[in-house]
Amino acid sequence: MSAVRRWTSLIALEIWLPLLLVVIWWFASESSNSVYFPPLRLILQSFAENWLVPDRALANLVPSLQVIGVGYGVALAGGIAFGTLLGLARPFERAVRPIVESLRAIPGVALLPLFIVLFGIDQPMRILLVAYGAAWPVLLNTLDGVRGVEPTLLDMARVFRVGRVRRLFLLILRSAGPQIFAGARISLAITLIIMVISETVGASGGVGYFLMTAKSEFRISSMWSAIIALGILGYLLNILFRIAERYILRWHRLQQARLETAR
Amino acid sequence: MRANSGVTPPGIERVATATTAGAADAKPARLGWILIQVAAFVVAGGVWGVASLLFPATTLPPPTAVLARLGELALTADFWSAVGITIGTFAVALVICIVVGVPVGLAIGASTIATQSTRLLFDFLRTIPPIAILPLLLLVLGAEFEMVLVLAVGGAIWPILIQSIYAARQGESLLAEMAASYRVPRAWFIRHIFVPGAIPFVMTGLRLGTTICLLLTISGELLGAAPGVGYEIANAQAYYDNTRMYAYVVVSALLGLTVNGGFWALQRRLLRWHPSIRGEVRS
Repeated sequence: MSAVRRWTSLIALEIWLPLLLVVIWWFASESSNSVYFPPLRLILQSFAENWLVPDRALANLVPSLQVIGVGYGVALAGGIAFGTLLGLARPFERAVRPIVESLRAIPGVALLPLFIVLFGIDQPMRILLVAYGAAWPVLLNTLDGVRGVEPTLLDMARVFRVGRVRRLFLLILRSAGPQIFAGARISLAITLIIMVISETVGASGGVGYFLMTAKSEFRISSMWSAIIALGILGYLLNILFRIAERYILRWHRLQQARLETAR
Repeated sequence: MRANSGVTPPGIERVATATTAGAADAKPARLGWILIQVAAFVVAGGVWGVASLLFPATTLPPPTAVLARLGELALTADFWSAVGITIGTFAVALVICIVVGVPVGLAIGASTIATQSTRLLFDFLRTIPPIAILPLLLLVLGAEFEMVLVLAVGGAIWPILIQSIYAARQGESLLAEMAASYRVPRAWFIRHIFVPGAIPFVMTGLRLGTTICLLLTISGELLGAAPGVGYEIANAQAYYDNTRMYAYVVVSALLGLTVNGGFWALQRRLLRWHPSIRGEVRS
């Protein structure tokens, strides 16, 4: 009983401020004449029209989800693969370090024009740009994680003649896991930014396209509804990410919990 | 303790020598490595050069042409004003993020009720891709420096704010309890326990914030047509002047390199006592 009460008070504590702000927004904007800050009522109306009606919502969301899904997937796979390679090939990594540092220093958007020149203005260009821009945090953190694997563990694996493949997957990638996830979280945020940016060029659908057309056609409530939709999309993706992290790194949490109790 | 800290190599390398594979790193001398790194750079340039032969020169110009163009541009006032505006916007945005984010974060983190009340709100706000508010900012503020500034602050403040909250939360740690039971004076506690304990957290947020801040500064200029390096890239592309475009992309990479390098130098200074500067999230 007291556990239930504690939970409800905890949830109440977390939710009162966001609720209060929404209420204030609602009443403060209700009589607003400002073109740029329409009443929240109109924004929510437009949100319902554009993001809750199935075929509209699909037209707006599917291209973006495609870019996010494929682009982020390629970024993760490429980042982990190259990060592991560089982390294992130490002298090579040191030789190319300045190149890696300069490449990752290029802000992803700066390459938008270049990618348009090289890959056109269709969906593949967007996916590649997201994959390129979002790969760096994963790559660098995988590199650091692989390099930071406990040397005694590696020596022990060698002594027990653990095979190369099993050593890679069971030992190296596993102990680098927490840091790979830390990088992947940053990559997710960058994926969303680059997705929106890439959809401002030559797209015929997607959240970024919707946002930009609403702006240029001066449909301000629609524009606000897209901002809210992007916020919800980002929040949901983060929750998915957290679930995946919790599942894949459950050994890590168990291990940490064990350390905590041992102390 | 570590009297030679001024000449200690970066944290990564210091740790690297402790691992078995690290022996490979130490083989050629420092100068030798620099030569090898320069050689690798030249090889990469060569690959770019060969690749440029396969494409029409307008699509992928050779590196020499881009560098020559960069040299020409560096003699013009427009170039330096674009670079200056971008650096200025970035720096002002970062300072605002620090001046606002760190104290507010510490204040919120100091109170359990404030931390829990704001958790859901901040969690939601920081997951909104900052670029989503660009159209709104463009309408309200126009294609100006202020628009880019607000965009950069709006994106970069979250990691700094949230890490500062974490930093203040460690007031519950073992060290704080021990300080309390030994009745350590408040000022001494803040100077010798709280601040050193908080800096690593704040630095992590700062590093993420720095990267995001530069990304958003250039994004805002590129998409919003506000003056700066980002605008120059978009402008060169609009005129199909790809050599100029690549020259400005190189400039943006140099800006990123400078910012990262400056950050590492600062971090080494502030955290040279900290054993784990290696084990942090890179962005």
